[in-house]
Amino acid sequence: MNEEAGASGPPARAGLADDERRLGWLMLGPALLYIGGFVGVPFVLAVLLSFSDATVGDPHIHRLVGLVNYRRAIAQPQFWTALGNSLWITFLTLLALAVLATALSELLARPFRLKRLVQTLIILPWAMPVSLAAVAWLWLLDSTFSPLDWLFRRIHLLGPGGWFGPGLHFYYLGRTGLAIASIVTVNVWRMLPLATLIVLAGRMSIPRELFDQAQIDGAGFFRVLLRISIPALMPVLTVALLFAALMVFGDMATVALLTRGGPGTATQVLPYWAFLQGINGGDLSGGAAVALFMLPVLAGVAIAALRLAYRSQQS
Amino acid sequence: MKKVRSMRRCLVFALACLMVSAPGLAAPLKPAPLRYPARFGALKFPQQFPAGTRLTITQWSHFVPRYDQWFDRYAQDWGQANNVKVTVNHINLADLSSSLSSAIAAGKGSTLYEMVAPPPAFIQGLQPLDDVNAAAQAAFGETNPVCAHSSYLPIKKMWYGFCHGWVPDPGDYRIAMWRKAGYPRGPATYDDLYRGGVKVYQAAGVPVGVGMSPEIDSEFFIRSLIWSFGGSIQDARDHVVFDSPQVIAAVEYMARLYKAAETPEVFTWNAASNNQGFVAGSLSYIQNSISFYRTAQEVSPEVAADTGFRPGLKGPGGKALQTAHVYAIYVMPKYVADGDEKQAAKKFMLDLVANYSNATYNSALYDFPAFARTVPQLTAKGGWLDDDPFGSKPADKLTVLRDAEAWTGWLGYPGYANPAVSQVYEQHLLSAMMAEVAQGKQTPRQAVKQTAAQIEKIFEKWRKAGYLGGG
Repeated sequence: MNEEAGASGPPARAGLADDERRLGWLMLGPALLYIGGFVGVPFVLAVLLSFSDATVGDPHIHRLVGLVNYRRAIAQPQFWTALGNSLWITFLTLLALAVLATALSELLARPFRLKRLVQTLIILPWAMPVSLAAVAWLWLLDSTFSPLDWLFRRIHLLGPGGWFGPGLHFYYLGRTGLAIASIVTVNVWRMLPLATLIVLAGRMSIPRELFDQAQIDGAGFFRVLLRISIPALMPVLTVALLFAALMVFGDMATVALLTRGGPGTATQVLPYWAFLQGINGGDLSGGAAVALFMLPVLAGVAIAALRLAYRSQQS
Repeated sequence: MKKVRSMRRCLVFALACLMVSAPGLAAPLKPAPLRYPARFGALKFPQQFPAGTRLTITQWSHFVPRYDQWFDRYAQDWGQANNVKVTVNHINLADLSSSLSSAIAAGKGSTLYEMVAPPPAFIQGLQPLDDVNAAAQAAFGETNPVCAHSSYLPIKKMWYGFCHGWVPDPGDYRIAMWRKAGYPRGPATYDDLYRGGVKVYQAAGVPVGVGMSPEIDSEFFIRSLIWSFGGSIQDARDHVVFDSPQVIAAVEYMARLYKAAETPEVFTWNAASNNQGFVAGSLSYIQNSISFYRTAQEVSPEVAADTGFRPGLKGPGGKALQTAHVYAIYVMPKYVADGDEKQAAKKFMLDLVANYSNATYNSALYDFPAFARTVPQLTAKGGWLDDDPFGSKPADKLTVLRDAEAWTGWLGYPGYANPAVSQVYEQHLLSAMMAEVAQGKQTPRQAVKQTAAQIEKIFEKWRKAGYLGGG
């Protein structure tokens, strides 16, 4: 019937929809334009700036000065402190995320009362405007007016006779360890919804029979977790953590809002140091050089994340 | 009849004598009426600008909110009088540098930016304002040294900004606490600050509130301390002189003060923190402008009544110098090309100075004039500082600010502000150095040496680019 129709009617013209090659480029086009315009151009510009003598007063590239800005960057002790802090804060954030995202996905994979409320609470940080979140965290961690300190004083953990000594405040952002812990906490608070959703999706895709079999064999919670859940979740958990690593390592907002690098240089991180030098300090080319030191780490993590994502898709 | 006439003459003479002997009565205690002259020195302006002339100004949200309300009204009034459409954007002071930077990069933005710290790092993207400064000096006299050193770059022989005002940064103390500690008039020297501060802390648990955090108040206090101890970042010819026994002594002092009379909160502060702590009664001494005091007068009158002000504290050699708290500097980026817009901007700046008694008054005496002659009401005997029109008790509480110019320095002291000095300030190198020593992570000698090396590198870069003298 079709053959007949084909033979009797005019020959069908091959449209755009039939040309897979052209259609592919057409569909990819907007994404390529976006990436080229908003990622590629700024990236090339940053590389050129880092080899130039541009300043905020004259941000044009008139002259290339070779590796001068890179040499100057690594000669600064604060650069190394910032690099170390960036790596340390990222590591601690990922560690906390791995534990919490796995625990939450285990929790959310089971039926329980108020599950929807818990789900909503977990997603809430995403729905919260950044400015509001910043105000809330600054208030919670304030050196004088922190409600957490007030609470700890009420339950006699702080203050005269308290477990943590006679002082009335913890000074969360004024002590090196607590300041780093505060930044990690806020990072985790921001990243946990994404990580939990990714891991939960992986958790839900583990065949139910595996858990039933383990239950019949008498395996306890931790045995099931360590032998079934975590090995099965590993690819997707790794992808979630690598994406979180990209976001944390290249982020300056948390530090800028909470500590601005203090106390001293204890929480200085590379992106914020680059901003201070390049924009506020006026040394645009120097700031670009500092920022580009993040490239190897970010590129390595990005490649690893994409490979893993691709591999887990294949399997 | 003769008797009456003679009595009248006597009365007039007596009144005249009274006015001369008591200038307070004769002083013009209200701001002068607004005026928009068409000529300032060699600069002449049209009575009305051509239709369609626009002027956009981006400036900080003033610490004294009533100033912004006045300024917005004034700008519109000025626009109407001069036939210019004026738009004013108020932004957070922390965003000024990044806004100006973005505008220069984009080649598009406001006509004028009011910076609160010297912006010499932007000099390549700014129009010279030599004519405006010359016109202002011809019309109103010499520029105050704080402003002159913060808007002129000698090596380029260029006024890159027009500084119309500045803000003193006195010491502020809680009278009752310091009286109990044996300093009824507050500390006069850094030694007093240490001894009295320790006494107050031990007796009342209230610490001293001078910071070591990456923010303006801490950076300003640290510079004041270093200058008063005889040190500085650079000399008058842009040579780095930071690694000196005087700076090391200042760092040692700060570490001692922290250990004996401060808490770790001094590492966490932002620009508003010490004000809040002082008003809340949890700090005994801060170095800050009077904006917090104006707030306290409204929300906490008992704190305002218990607040005393001190001029610069004296260092070991008797030298007293404190930074200005704000430098009000207009800059015009190079991208402003329209001739009428440029002229309108220049006239706006000069008119603001001509009407500066209104600016000072409406900032509740926060803004001091770059050209003292424009606000005689401020420092005249019996004038605003002697008899605060905003309700200080006692009325002469702010008298200490009358000679503020004598104990106020500027960011590049003793030289001019330059891109290197500005970068050192913006990267918070000094507050970081102090904090490292106070926390015991470095010795004063190590910290000063390391910071001096960083400063040298910054100076070297700008010197090579031709923006510093010396060498």
